[in-house]
Amino acid sequence: MNPETVKFYLRRTLTLYLPLAFFLGFTLLPIFWIVVTAIKPASAIIERPIRYIPRQPTLIHFFKVWNETNFPIYFLNSVAVSVVTGLFTVGAAMFGGYSLARFRYRGKGSVLMFFLLTQMFPFVLLTIPLYVIFSRFGLIDTRAALIVAYTAFNVPFCTIMMQGFFEGVPPSIEECAMVDGAGLMQTLFRITFPLVLPGIAATFIFAFIFAWNELLLAVMFINSEALKTIPVGLNGFIQKYNILWGQMSAAGTMALIPALLLFFFAQKQLVKGLTLGAVKG
Amino acid sequence: MISWELKKKIYPYLLMVPALLILLLFIFYPIIKTIQLSFLHYVLYEPYNRAFVGLKNFINTFNNDVFWISLRNTVIWVGVSLFGQFFLGLFQALVLNRKFKFRGIIRSVLFLPWAISGFLIAVMWRWMYQPRIGIINDLLLKLGLIQEQIPFLSRANTALLSVVVACIWWGAPFFAIMFLSALQAIPRELYEAASVDGASSWQKFWYVTRPFLQPTMVNTSLLRTIWIFNFVDLIYIMTQGGPFNSSQILSSYAYLTAYRSLDFSSASALAVIAMVVLVVYSIFYLYVTRNVREVY
Repeated sequence: MNPETVKFYLRRTLTLYLPLAFFLGFTLLPIFWIVVTAIKPASAIIERPIRYIPRQPTLIHFFKVWNETNFPIYFLNSVAVSVVTGLFTVGAAMFGGYSLARFRYRGKGSVLMFFLLTQMFPFVLLTIPLYVIFSRFGLIDTRAALIVAYTAFNVPFCTIMMQGFFEGVPPSIEECAMVDGAGLMQTLFRITFPLVLPGIAATFIFAFIFAWNELLLAVMFINSEALKTIPVGLNGFIQKYNILWGQMSAAGTMALIPALLLFFFAQKQLVKGLTLGAVKG
Repeated sequence: MISWELKKKIYPYLLMVPALLILLLFIFYPIIKTIQLSFLHYVLYEPYNRAFVGLKNFINTFNNDVFWISLRNTVIWVGVSLFGQFFLGLFQALVLNRKFKFRGIIRSVLFLPWAISGFLIAVMWRWMYQPRIGIINDLLLKLGLIQEQIPFLSRANTALLSVVVACIWWGAPFFAIMFLSALQAIPRELYEAASVDGASSWQKFWYVTRPFLQPTMVNTSLLRTIWIFNFVDLIYIMTQGGPFNSSQILSSYAYLTAYRSLDFSSASALAVIAMVVLVVYSIFYLYVTRNVREVY
C-alpha cells in the first residue's frame, strides 16, 4: 500500500470508526447489561468476579415473570392505554395540525405560545389537581384517567409534528377536490389524510411510546393490580425489600421489545416528524 | 348555505377545538387549580385544617434551605445534562452523516435510548452503579481509573452527576436526530466550494455547517431545557434526591413534598415557582436568540 492509502485509512479510523465504536459502546452497554443479567441464573447475578458473558444462560427469569407474576396483565394494560392514547392524540393532532398548516388567522401565535406554556408546568405535579378532577368524575383507578392525561400532554408536540407533515402536501391537490364539490371534511378524509398516513403513524408511535413508558402519573392514579401498566408493575418489583434482579431485568427486557420494535419500524418517519416539529416549535 | 369565505374564517378555529379543549380541561385548568392551591393550607391528612393563607407557602419555601439547594442542583442538572446531550448528539450526527457500511442499522441503534422508559433507564443505571457487583465500578477498576469501589449514588458529591450521565445517555439521541436532519439539508456544493478554496475541516465546520445548524441548535435546546427541567423519573428512582438532598432538583422536590409529606399546598407553591422560573427563562431565551432563530 502506498503512503496515501495508509494515511486515508488511518484518518478514517480516527475520525469515523473510533468515534462510532465509542458511541455504540456507550449506547449499548446498559442494554447489553440488562439482557445479560436477565439470562444469568440467580446465583450468578451476584457472583464476583463479574462475568460479562454468562456461563449458563437461562430463560428461567422470563418464564417466571410471565407465569408467576402479574406481568401479562400489566402488559395488556399498557397495550390498551398506549393504543388508545395514540389514537386520541392523533385525532386531536390531525385537525389541529391541519388548522395550523393551512390557515392564517388571528390567535394562531397565541395557540403556539399556549402549547409551549403547557410544557412548562412540571407534568408530574399535574397529578394533584388532576386527582381532584378525576375523583369528581369517578376516574380514579381507571385506565381512562391515564389515557386522558397522556393525551393532553402529547397533543401540543404532536399537533406541531402534524403541521409539518401537512405542509409537505401541496394545497393544489386539495383545491382540485374542492372544485369538484367536495366539502372540507370529505377532502380531508379522502385526499389529505391518506397522503400524510406515514406522518400519522409517526405521531401515533410518538404518543404510544410516551404512554408505554410513563410511570409517575400512573403510580398516582392506579391502585388495582388488575389495572397497572408495566412501569407501575415493575416499580412494585423494586419497592420490595429484596430486588429480584434477574426477574426485574427479564421483565425490563420484555417491556423494551414493543417500544423498540415500533421505533425501529417507524424510525424514518418519526425522525422526519420530530425535526419538522422542532424546527418550527 | 354558508359561503366559502365565512367557512374559511370558522374552519381553522373549529379544527383546533379538540386539541384546545383537551388542553384547557386537563392541563390549563389543573394549572389554575394548582396556583389556587398554592395560596391555601392543604395537607392531605389534615382535612379539617384548610384555609386561605396568602403567600405563606411561598414565604416558607423561600425560607427553606432545601428549596435553595434544589434550585442550585436544578441549574447543574439542566446545565450539565443539556451540555452533554448537545455535544454528544452533535458528534453523533456529524459522524452518522458520513457514508459507511451498515449506516442505517447503526443509526437506529444509536437512537434507541430515546424509546426506553425513564423508569427502566433509571433501574438499569442504578444496577450498573451498584458498588459491589455493578458493571461501572468493575470496568473503572479494570481500566485503573479508580482504586476502590465507589458507591456513586450514595455519595453526596457524586450522586447528582451520576444521574446526569444517565440523563445524557437518554437524551443525546434526540439531539442527534435533530442535527442529522439539519445536516442533510446542507447543499453539498458549499463543501465542494470550501474545499476548492482550501478550507480545513474545522473551517468547513465553522463557516458552513454551524450556520446551518444554528436554528436547530437554538430551538431544540429550549425544548430540551424545559423537558430536562421537569424530568423527575431518573432522580426519583435512582436517588430519591438523596443523599441529604444532594441530588434533589426542583421538580423532584415538589414531587416528594406532594407524595411523601402529602403537603399538596407547599408542593403546589413549588410547582408554581418552577413554572415561573421556566417562563421567565424562556422569554429571556427567546428574546436573546431572536436573531439566531430565523437564519433561513
